[in-house]
Amino acid sequence: MSFREKSAWVTLITLIVLSIAFALHVPQPWTLRPASSPFMFHVLLLAIVAFVVIEVVAHVVIAIFSPRDARAPKDERERLIELKSIAAAAYVYAFLSLSSVFTIHFGANQIGVGYLILLSFIVAEIVNYALRIYYYRRGF
Amino acid sequence: MRKTRIENRIRRLRFDRNEMTQQELAEKVGVTRQTINAIELGKYSPSLEVAFLIARALGVELEEVFSYPKDAAEEAEAERGTKRG
Repeated sequence: MSFREKSAWVTLITLIVLSIAFALHVPQPWTLRPASSPFMFHVLLLAIVAFVVIEVVAHVVIAIFSPRDARAPKDERERLIELKSIAAAAYVYAFLSLSSVFTIHFGANQIGVGYLILLSFIVAEIVNYALRIYYYRRGF
Repeated sequence: MRKTRIENRIRRLRFDRNEMTQQELAEKVGVTRQTINAIELGKYSPSLEVAFLIARALGVELEEVFSYPKDAAEEAEAERGTKRG
């Protein structure tokens, strides 16, 4: 397994685990109730910091095990895989974030919409990294 | 997944060059071993530049490494016609 594929796995798993942990700690953001509080802000901040720390540590660890691979620049196939995955994820993000805005007309408040847009971004990123892994596994 | 229509003889040529490994070829070309593997298995068509670099690394002309069979060209043409029609 190449360094880029391991990196995609790390990001995908981190995103999923942290998103689930975040969803469990935040008091029902999807119910779209007015629920802004310092607690929610701190949980969000903690999730972002945890994501950055886990990403850095995990990438350092996988780079230690394959240093040559980690130093090498992306080649043309890897760049194309990245572009194809980002393009697909962009459609997912556009669709979900626009759908999130529509929830205003069904009683959602600003905070609810904000969290739905965040969820759209997370889902799009999960699609992005899942597709990368799929293309790496398939060859292209 | 549909294979690319471009055929290649990389595996044979590597074997003829003292069993050069995919990693060795990848290092000479400047791509990853996984990319050489994908090209060799016909899963990925390289850019013209990488194709030339592979030929150079194997010490042969481009046509000796890659070929585009006539039936593949006809198949591609028929496919284009179907899409237009």
